[in-house]
Amino acid sequence: MTKDEVQGATEEEQAQSKKGLKKQQKEAEKAAKKAEKQSKLAADQQGSEEDDFAKDRYGVPPMVQSQQKLDRVLVRVEDLSPEKADQLIWLRARVHTSRAKGKQCFLVLRQQQFNVQALVAVGDRASKQMVKFAANITKESIVDVEASVRKVEQKIESCTQQDVELHIERIFVISQSEARLPLQLEDAVRPDGEGEEEGRATVNQDTKLDNRVIDLRTTTSQAIFRLQSGVCKLFRDTLTNKGFVEIQTPKIISAASEGGANVFTVSYFKTSAYLAQSPQLYKQMCICADFDKVFCVGPVFRAEDSNTHRHLTEFVGLDIEMAFSYHYHEVIDSITDTMVQIFKGLRDNFQTEILTVNKQYPSEPFKFLEPTLRLEYTEALAMLHQAGVEMGDEEDLSTPNEKLLGRLVKEKYDTDFYVLDKYPLAVRPFYTMPDPNNAKYSNSYDMFMRGEEILSGAQRVHDAQLLTERAMHHQIDLEKIKSYIDSFRYGAPPHGGGGIGLERVCMLYLGLHNIRQTSMFPRDPKRLTP
Amino acid sequence: MALRELSSLEKYLGLKKPNKYSTQGDKKVPVLQNNNGPPLVGLGTIASHLVKVAKRPNLLGDSAESRAVVQQWLEYRVTKLDGCTKEDTKAILKDLNLYLQDKVYMAGNQFTLADTFMYFGIHPIIVDLSVQEKEQYVNVARWFDHIQRCPGVRHHLPPLAVLRNRIYTSKHH
Repeated sequence: MTKDEVQGATEEEQAQSKKGLKKQQKEAEKAAKKAEKQSKLAADQQGSEEDDFAKDRYGVPPMVQSQQKLDRVLVRVEDLSPEKADQLIWLRARVHTSRAKGKQCFLVLRQQQFNVQALVAVGDRASKQMVKFAANITKESIVDVEASVRKVEQKIESCTQQDVELHIERIFVISQSEARLPLQLEDAVRPDGEGEEEGRATVNQDTKLDNRVIDLRTTTSQAIFRLQSGVCKLFRDTLTNKGFVEIQTPKIISAASEGGANVFTVSYFKTSAYLAQSPQLYKQMCICADFDKVFCVGPVFRAEDSNTHRHLTEFVGLDIEMAFSYHYHEVIDSITDTMVQIFKGLRDNFQTEILTVNKQYPSEPFKFLEPTLRLEYTEALAMLHQAGVEMGDEEDLSTPNEKLLGRLVKEKYDTDFYVLDKYPLAVRPFYTMPDPNNAKYSNSYDMFMRGEEILSGAQRVHDAQLLTERAMHHQIDLEKIKSYIDSFRYGAPPHGGGGIGLERVCMLYLGLHNIRQTSMFPRDPKRLTP
Repeated sequence: MALRELSSLEKYLGLKKPNKYSTQGDKKVPVLQNNNGPPLVGLGTIASHLVKVAKRPNLLGDSAESRAVVQQWLEYRVTKLDGCTKEDTKAILKDLNLYLQDKVYMAGNQFTLADTFMYFGIHPIIVDLSVQEKEQYVNVARWFDHIQRCPGVRHHLPPLAVLRNRIYTSKHH
């Protein structure tokens, strides 16, 4: 090698050794860190093994496969009050949140609409490991807790049970939840305005509907569906007390009842059949079969490709039909009285639920008059003309006009619920009885809540002859409705009725803005699951 | 459009002989050919002239300040209001609403040409407003209703309904 090369080589060697030195240094550092970590872990483990005197007061017990019958009373969260102070109780609830703070862990335990604060603190009953375990329980896990109820001096604003808190002695996880939830319950309950203002997340409707099981756990959803159950119960009870009989009508039918366009077809062995758009025909046949006053609660299927805030393809219909003596207003009075009883029942027995919903969706309380306000169609037209709306005498009300009319009626009469009587004949179905005094109008009526239609009803044509004429006038194929017309040939009493949508009534009573909020698993043109 | 307004104005002023107007340009600016002088061009100019002919100078404002304001609104009418787009409408209504908060008439304390021509100009916008929007721009609606009821002003335009009471609360549905 030449001198230069030698020099180059030594330089290389020097460079290498410099690099080598650096490398060695790095490795040494790494090794030192690793050793530190390992020793720390070892220390922790040692620490966790040492002195866990509370080992049997927490943990994950084996899955409940009905191994034993425990004679244990579980207290409901909603019953926790200062009266139970210093009692030792068991309860089963979900972990809503858990927050560790040094030697303490704060949990919020939730049961349906109610929640309560609970505390695990290092002391003679709980060890450090137990506190750590409590802090690591995943949200939404179901836990069994034995705790003593303690009164608090300062009200706990963030919980429904504000006067007490639980001091946990034993805590077991009965069903663990996965760590990552598809949506956070706190976000799902947050009012929209608050979300925007404070920059916190809210959950949009599609996410909520896709993960309906979790969304239904929120306090708001629990309240809405309890109220809906209340509506059904009040409907049944009120009508039964009035002497109505509940009937069940078939949903698979051979001919479309309201009109061919909006009906679902199903394959029926070798032919096809339809899903009922309403129990109309069968209600009437029951009247002709002498049941006098009937009602039915069941699903209604409308294949309308409407993607609006108030249309579903499947909803629950509450339908009424009754024979009357001389005037169809007897029917209107009966229906409005039923509605008023429902409103009163909700107002008197479901205040908790209404307030819970209002926390997320504020709205004005629902107002109604007794006796119910009844306006004639011509009066309504006059009110709309005065407000500057151009409308023909025999025209049907469009949705914006209905809403405007609702506002005008609210302003003038201070009611959210009213009946509009004597609609023009031209816009009603063929089985509507025409007005005896004015051929342009009919004995039909609609009922509105907060300016949106909830019921469409009328006196029905009970004479086979007139019915045939009206059907021909509407250019309906008589063959398809032969059995319907036949049912009136053998003595039929004058009768009328109407049908309301359960989801719509709940939505409008609570002042909500989308019908999917009041349908547990909604169906619309774009949604078939869950 | 402008020609009809001018003929309505003539009727209001009680001028016996209707003048013949022609228009010039794409914007159809009205022109009044005078026998003894140069032609008068422009809505505001012609209107002021007619008012002087009819010996009703108070319609142009009774003080120097209100006269200036009247001219300002006539300018506004011709430049901003005629041929404004949909987006501008909202801004215009908002400005007017703020301006009319504490005023009965556009200029001063009496009816002037500014009211007439602003009324003519804003009529097509108000026609398209819904009840809720009219409630939103409550001052404009109040002034509009007042002017359209003044005798002799309306003429060729249909009356528009303005409700007396508020039917939309703050939490609108």
